[in-house]
Amino acid sequence: MTALLEIEDLRVTFNTRHGQVTALDSVSLHVNEGETLGVVGESGCGKSITALSVMGLIPSPPGRIAGGEIRLDGENLVGASDKRLRRLRGAEAAMIFQEPMTSLNPVFTVGEQIAEAIMLHQKVSHDRAFRDAIELLDRVGIPSPESRARDYPHQLSGGMRQRVMIAMAVSCRPRVLIADEPTTALDVTVQAQIFDLLNEIQRDFGAAIVLITHDMGAISEMADRVAVMYAGRVIEEASADNVLDHPLHPYARGLIDCIPALGREETDLKEIPGVVPPLHLLGEGCAFADRCAHCEPRCLREKPRLVTHGNHPAAHPAACHGVEEGRI
Amino acid sequence: MSPLLDVRDLTVRFPMPKPSLFAPRPHLEAVRQISFTLEPGRALGIVGESGSGKTTAAMATIRLTEASGGEVHFDGVDLLKLSPEKMRMRRRDIQLIFQDPYSSLNPRTRVNDIVREPMDLMEVGTPAERRERVVEYFRLVGLRPDQLDLFPHQFSGGQRQRISIARALTTDPKLLVCDEPVSALDVAIQAQILNLLARLKDELGLSYLFISHDLGVVRHVCDDVAVMYLGKIVEHAPRAALFDAPQHPYTQALISAAPSLARRKSKGYVRPLKVSGDPPSPINPPPGCAFAERCPRAQPLCREVQPELEPVGGSLAACHFPGPDEALRDAS
Ligand SMILES: Nc1ncnc2c1ncn2[C@@H]1O[C@H](COP(=O)(O)OP(=O)(O)OP(=O)(O)O)[C@@H](O)[C@H]1O
Ligand SMILES: Nc1ncnc2c1ncn2[C@@H]1O[C@H](COP(=O)(O)OP(=O)(O)OP(=O)(O)O)[C@@H](O)[C@H]1O
Ligand SMILES: [Mg+2]
Ligand SMILES: [Mg+2]
Repeated sequence: MTALLEIEDLRVTFNTRHGQVTALDSVSLHVNEGETLGVVGESGCGKSITALSVMGLIPSPPGRIAGGEIRLDGENLVGASDKRLRRLRGAEAAMIFQEPMTSLNPVFTVGEQIAEAIMLHQKVSHDRAFRDAIELLDRVGIPSPESRARDYPHQLSGGMRQRVMIAMAVSCRPRVLIADEPTTALDVTVQAQIFDLLNEIQRDFGAAIVLITHDMGAISEMADRVAVMYAGRVIEEASADNVLDHPLHPYARGLIDCIPALGREETDLKEIPGVVPPLHLLGEGCAFADRCAHCEPRCLREKPRLVTHGNHPAAHPAACHGVEEGRI
Repeated sequence: MSPLLDVRDLTVRFPMPKPSLFAPRPHLEAVRQISFTLEPGRALGIVGESGSGKTTAAMATIRLTEASGGEVHFDGVDLLKLSPEKMRMRRRDIQLIFQDPYSSLNPRTRVNDIVREPMDLMEVGTPAERRERVVEYFRLVGLRPDQLDLFPHQFSGGQRQRISIARALTTDPKLLVCDEPVSALDVAIQAQILNLLARLKDELGLSYLFISHDLGVVRHVCDDVAVMYLGKIVEHAPRAALFDAPQHPYTQALISAAPSLARRKSKGYVRPLKVSGDPPSPINPPPGCAFAERCPRAQPLCREVQPELEPVGGSLAACHFPGPDEALRDAS
């Protein structure tokens, strides 16, 4: 089976005052129809840049897709025309951002904005589109959708605004829905509502979801598969169960052991010492080496590749020399 | 043992703009008659959603926000009755660390001076003793003394939070108020700071008033937990009771909503307990229980009569129909 969305060896660079930096370095990912891929990692590791690349939204300059392919149903989107990318956005792939206020227009009612999004991709009358918008608002759980459709974004709570964003994102039944930290600005009870909604929408529309988060708990509840990113690279990738129960890469292990999670016995939190190195200081070797308890000379010299080592039933791709050599 | 902090009926009201010239001025009740105690050497967590009044309650407790009513007995003295001068003397016993290690440190001051500042203000020890102390506390929080001449921007977020902690500790406070001390930090860095706070509490016998919206963080650091909803404490219990046998439906909803490693999509997990809607507005709070609109157990009584905190199970809970939730218990 070929994946619906496939990212292969994606490389994205930025021109900065420190010279050219590589924000994404041979990133490969895929998502199948009806599947949720969780992308997790610390701030600055490249989660959003990966998402923006798919949508053709990398700010350029200073950014540039310097290599690799992004295939949607086999069609390579890297280098596609602006016209093609505009048609893609909304119709085939849609994105939900962390702060819905920045992507909603404050001077139009939310019903109007959803109707607008529908008319952009479908040949329907304005009346019809507005009625569809109300139906979508109802679908995403907004109470009294008829009157809410006539509200402006600032009249809605944060949770309702995020629901409006989701309504807009699914208005043309995209095949891929990218949610970039869709709940970080929301309260937990509202976050739970949004997560449940995303799952329902996936069941109804069969969309593939890419959920970007820094929260391993969210990954556990939402994701079928997980990609762990560090400093612009995917360092581990497998089913959510394999990553959570049998993490291989020392960074993936650290990320799981360092959270004071509910639903786990109280233990001392394991720390990951140090901080993520800035992109312009990344060297030849493994970007995690200076924080790693298992670092050996080879780790400083040579970048580990993301491959499966060994034939343990839970074996899965991890970019780590220690795992390859069987010493971790 | 007498409590370090004994707060009674603390209330904070903010005046709002008048809707028209002759209309009465509306008030926003951010904190509504809350009472709690904190024993020396313990950490009390305050959890609750955005706008529930956590920060306002803590700030009013230490008199950085003006209370509209109530009493705050700190070491037996009512802080709200102290003269400004006497309150200033008390300040060295009470220190504060904030959520945002970026904006709470003056960018143009060397960290050496930043850490020493509270001692200068409160005239603690001789100048030489102050300098020694800065070095001592810098080490204690895991920073290197050779970094003392640097400016805040030359440190990472986690290191900046360490600097705020060092600064707070130099006056030997008895109480440390921590307002979301790790929510601006990456998870890996959070663990470093949480472990540091846990260690300092043991080593220095500190008491914490620890605000967080993250139940996992609170469970890790705190001995007792108070859950706030729309300006009221709805449940107050020792950590184990609160997490293992919560009595208030709102506490149950919070626990059920917090993402957990124990719930797996692959295991066909369904959220045991759902609440709909958003918290109500604090401007004209409903007469009865503020959670009634969203509560699966609500009865007509709940919308009319405000429940008070009363012992139930191992908790104090403000609910007309408290008790364990079957679905939540089966799920865990
Ligand atoms: N316009 C830009 N110019 C230069 N560098 C950039 C730009 N946008 C992003 N970057 C860099 O690219 C890297 C990846 O950023 P990205 O936004 O993808 O991180 P992220 O994983 O989404 O982090 P967060 O969790 O904070 O959202 C970062 O190191 C960032 O500094
Ligand atoms: N100075 C002020 N003037 C008017 N209203 C205020 C003021 N400070 C806080 N409030 C209001 O009081 C209520 C409680 O706010 P508070 O900041 O204490 O909540 P919180 O629980 O700390 O929330 P968060 O988790 O977002 O920090 C909110 O409705 C807030 O808008
Ligand atoms: Mg991002
Ligand atoms: Mg607050």
